[in-house]
Amino acid sequence: MSYCVNCGVELDSSLPSCPLCNTPVIHPGQLRQASPYPLERGQVETVKRKDLGILLTIVLSATSIGCALLNLFVFNNSLWSLLIIGICIILFVLSIPAVIYTKQPIYLSLLLDGVAIGAYLYMITYLTASDRWFWQLAVPIVALATLLAEILALCIRKLPVSIIATALYIFAEAAILCIGIELFIDRYLGKPLSPSWSAIVLTVCGIIVIALITLLSKRRLRDAVRRRLHF
Amino acid sequence: MAISKKSNKKIWYKLDLSAIVYPTLQRKDFSSVYRLSVVLKETIDPDILQKAVDIALRRFPTYKVAIRKGLFWRYLESNERPGPFVQPDIKNPCMPMPFKANNRYLIRIYYHECRIALEAHHSLGDGSGGMYVLQTITAVYLRLLGHSISTGGFVLDVDSPPDPEELEDAYMRYANAQVRPPRPGEKAYRVRGTKEPFYTLNIIDGIMSVKQVMGVAAKYNATITEYLNSVLLYALLQKQSHDWHPKLRPVKIAMPVNLRRFFPSKTLRNFITMVYPSIDPRLGEYTFDEIVIHVRNYMRYYINEKFLRGDITTNASTQRNPLIRVVPLFIKDYTVRLFYTKVQDRNSSAGLTNMGALKTPEDMKPYIERFDIYMGQPFSSRTNCAIVSFDDTLTINFASSIIEADVERYFFRKLVQDGIHVKIESNR
Repeated sequence: MSYCVNCGVELDSSLPSCPLCNTPVIHPGQLRQASPYPLERGQVETVKRKDLGILLTIVLSATSIGCALLNLFVFNNSLWSLLIIGICIILFVLSIPAVIYTKQPIYLSLLLDGVAIGAYLYMITYLTASDRWFWQLAVPIVALATLLAEILALCIRKLPVSIIATALYIFAEAAILCIGIELFIDRYLGKPLSPSWSAIVLTVCGIIVIALITLLSKRRLRDAVRRRLHF
Repeated sequence: MAISKKSNKKIWYKLDLSAIVYPTLQRKDFSSVYRLSVVLKETIDPDILQKAVDIALRRFPTYKVAIRKGLFWRYLESNERPGPFVQPDIKNPCMPMPFKANNRYLIRIYYHECRIALEAHHSLGDGSGGMYVLQTITAVYLRLLGHSISTGGFVLDVDSPPDPEELEDAYMRYANAQVRPPRPGEKAYRVRGTKEPFYTLNIIDGIMSVKQVMGVAAKYNATITEYLNSVLLYALLQKQSHDWHPKLRPVKIAMPVNLRRFFPSKTLRNFITMVYPSIDPRLGEYTFDEIVIHVRNYMRYYINEKFLRGDITTNASTQRNPLIRVVPLFIKDYTVRLFYTKVQDRNSSAGLTNMGALKTPEDMKPYIERFDIYMGQPFSSRTNCAIVSFDDTLTINFASSIIEADVERYFFRKLVQDGIHVKIESNR
């Protein structure tokens, strides 16, 4: 039998170190026995939300088909049903990872969300005089927002996660998004490409990003902030 | 009694007063699940254990249930789906228990070498109720192996029908004081630590001799519960003083009291209330002897039939209020969760439960090595301590979901300093 030299407790012969103070057990004459605890970790059973998925699909399809029929045969002065059908498509695509196919990769989900929003905006072009706004404004903005969402998901999944790091990604991406939106608007209006309001956002976000990078790189500073702002 | 027959088969039960709270706290990474386990002297045969579970659970209709939502309250409904099935034990017990998983059963039964473990959602019943289930399953298992085991203690007769009193919400029978004492509300010191990854439960078990602990407790003129409570308060005070803290806070322990000791009831459902032994370090530095005196006086003053009756009357008054009763469930859920997170959870620094000396039929004793109980995953980052004794073996089981084991270290070192021989087992 082994005793912890720090705590004075007897340690089970399966323990490589004292679980109370992490002092390693050094006992050359004793073979380590198997742990009284199992080694296999359990996994929580995933709950199938099949019923909710079926219900949601039926409700959204019924709404879309109902509106399409009303639009075709009753209130047929404009293509108003496209607005509702588009919303139903977006809701369906958004709900796929939550209730229909929970194993769908996040990157694919975000891409499909972007495509669904793009499709909805395209449907709106049938109700407007021209579709120039869609190709020159809506598509680039949706594509940029989707790309940034994908990058954010990638950063959160692959890079070290903390509140400060997440804030850093969000502020950096907000600046890029604002710059992008303003440049796309300028191009659409035929103006020279020069950032104005987005430059202010960029400056503010830039200052915040630099401050956050400094915080992340200096452990002492990070600990001081954490200590002063803990709640 | 809260039973209504819907048809010949569908029987449902209202949740008892305590059980109302637990499902509202359910999160993706948290369920109010506790674990009771028994270590036998022979390796477990899973096929025979499954048979024993199937036979024994017929005797416990309130444990063979699924939880469902109504418009105003949740309720338990008898569950005829296949199961619950015994399964090999895992390293991380007391995992979250989604209500729709596991064929909607709210209990799990595990086996590992010589151990049978029962995990139950707290909405079904408290530790005493669960102990009846575990010991009855164990007795049936041993009988199926050919041993002769009589009924008595926590072992119920599986051939007799359930006593209606076993299914009652005993709180409502005794919540009849004429005054409702206010709930204690001051924020307590909270242990801070580094959170473990998703549903990891760190366990440290201390195994010691009952006689030795009793001898040391007697030196302080205290009972085992009073002494161990004092040691935990002492450990928490040490932890607070060593940690960085903006200001000192009182150190409080949430300790469930088994109300069956004071109010006769055979209920297998929840019948506990909380008391909060505490030490306020802002008043000055307490020596260990002073802590023991304080805890002893607190326990002897508060834990009696009169005070406990007042306490359960306060708790029951909310549920009895007609205005609250008609509020839809989702609003109740939101309010209860908010109250629990902001007030109740901050009201204590750690949890401690003592199930005391477990009684088993005399002819079952030779087959049992020891019992373990775990209060389960704590709601916030802290440590929970559960104590149980069988014969001359006293086990103290700490469960926490933080990496640091400071409280456990201060606790066991104090026991060692007092001359108690402690053996440590852990899944860390």
